[in-house]
Amino acid sequence: MSTKFIDAYLDGTITAPELQQLNALLLTDAKARREFAEILNVDSALAAMAAGWTKDEAPVVRQTKWRATTPRWMAAAASVALLLGGWWWQDSQSAFATVEKAAGVVEMADGSSLRGESHEIKAGSVALVTARGARIVIEAPAEFRFESAQRLHMKRGRLAADVPPAAKGFTVITPTGDAIDLGTRFGVDVPMSGAAEVHVFQGEVITKATGEKAKQSLRGGDAVTFDQGASTSRELRSSAFIQADEMSELTAGLAAGQRARAESALTNLKNDPALIALLDFESDEAQPGVFRRVQGRWPGSHAPEFVHVGDHLKLDVGGDRDWPQLTLAAWVRIDRLGAPYQSLLHTDGWSKNNPGQVHWMINRDTTMRLALIGNTLAPDANERDGHPDSRTAVLPEQGRWVHLATVYDSQTKTVRFYLNGQFDKETRQQVAHPARLGPAQIGNWNQQDRKLSGRVDELLLLGRAMSDNEIRALHAAGNPYR
Amino acid sequence: MSPTETERHHRFLRSFTAHEPAVRAHVRRLVPARADADDVMQEISVVLWEKFDSFRDGADFKAWAFGVARFEVLAWLRDRGRDRLVLDEEVITKIAEETTADEPRLEQQREALEHCMKKVPGDQRELLMQAYQPESRIHEVAQGSGRTVAGFYQWLHRMRKLLLECIRRALTQEVAS
Repeated sequence: MSTKFIDAYLDGTITAPELQQLNALLLTDAKARREFAEILNVDSALAAMAAGWTKDEAPVVRQTKWRATTPRWMAAAASVALLLGGWWWQDSQSAFATVEKAAGVVEMADGSSLRGESHEIKAGSVALVTARGARIVIEAPAEFRFESAQRLHMKRGRLAADVPPAAKGFTVITPTGDAIDLGTRFGVDVPMSGAAEVHVFQGEVITKATGEKAKQSLRGGDAVTFDQGASTSRELRSSAFIQADEMSELTAGLAAGQRARAESALTNLKNDPALIALLDFESDEAQPGVFRRVQGRWPGSHAPEFVHVGDHLKLDVGGDRDWPQLTLAAWVRIDRLGAPYQSLLHTDGWSKNNPGQVHWMINRDTTMRLALIGNTLAPDANERDGHPDSRTAVLPEQGRWVHLATVYDSQTKTVRFYLNGQFDKETRQQVAHPARLGPAQIGNWNQQDRKLSGRVDELLLLGRAMSDNEIRALHAAGNPYR
Repeated sequence: MSPTETERHHRFLRSFTAHEPAVRAHVRRLVPARADADDVMQEISVVLWEKFDSFRDGADFKAWAFGVARFEVLAWLRDRGRDRLVLDEEVITKIAEETTADEPRLEQQREALEHCMKKVPGDQRELLMQAYQPESRIHEVAQGSGRTVAGFYQWLHRMRKLLLECIRRALTQEVAS
């Protein structure tokens, strides 16, 4: 008799007089209160289960009758609950996501199912598809777990999500805030230390820093940092995230044995008598500077990442002599375009008293520049800005690892630019001083200037001019893509 | 963010994520509809974070959160319950007190649901999950199942009852064994 009112209350169809009766009953009858609490408890457990439920889950084995239970299942359920860290309601039959591609990830295999368990990947990147069709790429080092097909907890790591309408509402939960998708493409970066960031490439995302009362609506091009319970807007780093299309080429590169080729090429370079410096960032010795240490071109390899204004890496090499010839090369992944000058390598000094000091950078129009102080252009040189610049834009709109190289020769008085191993342009100089190095910064110049936004890997300084063929081979050997 | 601030966040999140399902279930027992529970939960999570400083390390987070939850539910009922058919404050307070004490058993019940759901035939189980989708419209789900709305509600009542019976049975056997 009491359940009739409880059911009506639950359905929202209870009338005022009925509610009065229910109130009276619950006030006086402890047994009715208990029944009431239990029904609502089941109701809430069903709702929690439904939140993680998806239509296309594995077919359920039909059972025709309700059998009596053995106590064993309780132990099993308890251990599952323990495994899930308290996410007890999830259906152990249904996968929240499937691994589409694991590139250099030893902890996961292609095609494996992810449920509510925690995952830690130390190296590589993994592409996942959720049960509702959202495509997620997560880059190591990362720790994460799905709470349901629609809720992903990211303790740390970097994620790019492409969310179709069917998965609208997909939510990424970080230690410092949440991002709720409204059918869109976005990225979330949870660094080892510091606040999480949300970057919206397309569409709309709702964000809420932990502890913040109001939610924020972000649109394509917007980005925020969750900082001390507030969302602070920041510039977009669209290319800081590996996306699904890049994943397949990275996987193919690994499968083709590119990494071994790159390593043997590095060994050869290290034996080059003209070598000034070769930074592969694999040494555990702390490099001086301010930057994040993140994954490089290969699973588990390292690269410095420059995120904030003033981030830099210090390098002091080759300062004891002049370099009549100099080859500069690096793999870079630039997060964003259009910043005024991005520093690839700037000698600290830039003084007429010390001609030949080197500034190697990306211009605001994304061409590459090599400027040596005191040098002048040949009269026939066609340059907009008084310095040798490359012709082709350094980066496509979609960020990827690109190989940049510049060969300087003070004897032939030429500066030659290369993009991804391809010769781009030669600029002739009238006055060409031998190059001078010494104390320099990568990613910045003198603290707060010429900010590079992105990662640098395998930076090479060679005291001779590499040929076109050598540059082509350098790119081919170090290319992570296929 | 300062290291202590980050650490505080982490401590909070660890506790909150661990107990969120229980707190949500607790709230659900005190408000008329699931959507109401979602509303109140948002408020509660904010309050818990704001008051986290006053939470003593080593104390029972769940009990503390239940206390905050009860207060927030009552505030919500006073604010928004005016035009709705909600239970008396006195009843709510009684249920909140009794279910707080009874929470270990209620939690076992929620855990046992998963086991009992496996006994529900696949198509019915799917229907049940459809009905409980966060934004489901009951009359559409009812129509899809070939039932009238009233008939569908009847079926829902029966399913909930069957599940509750299965759960009780499972827990009794556990105690007996």
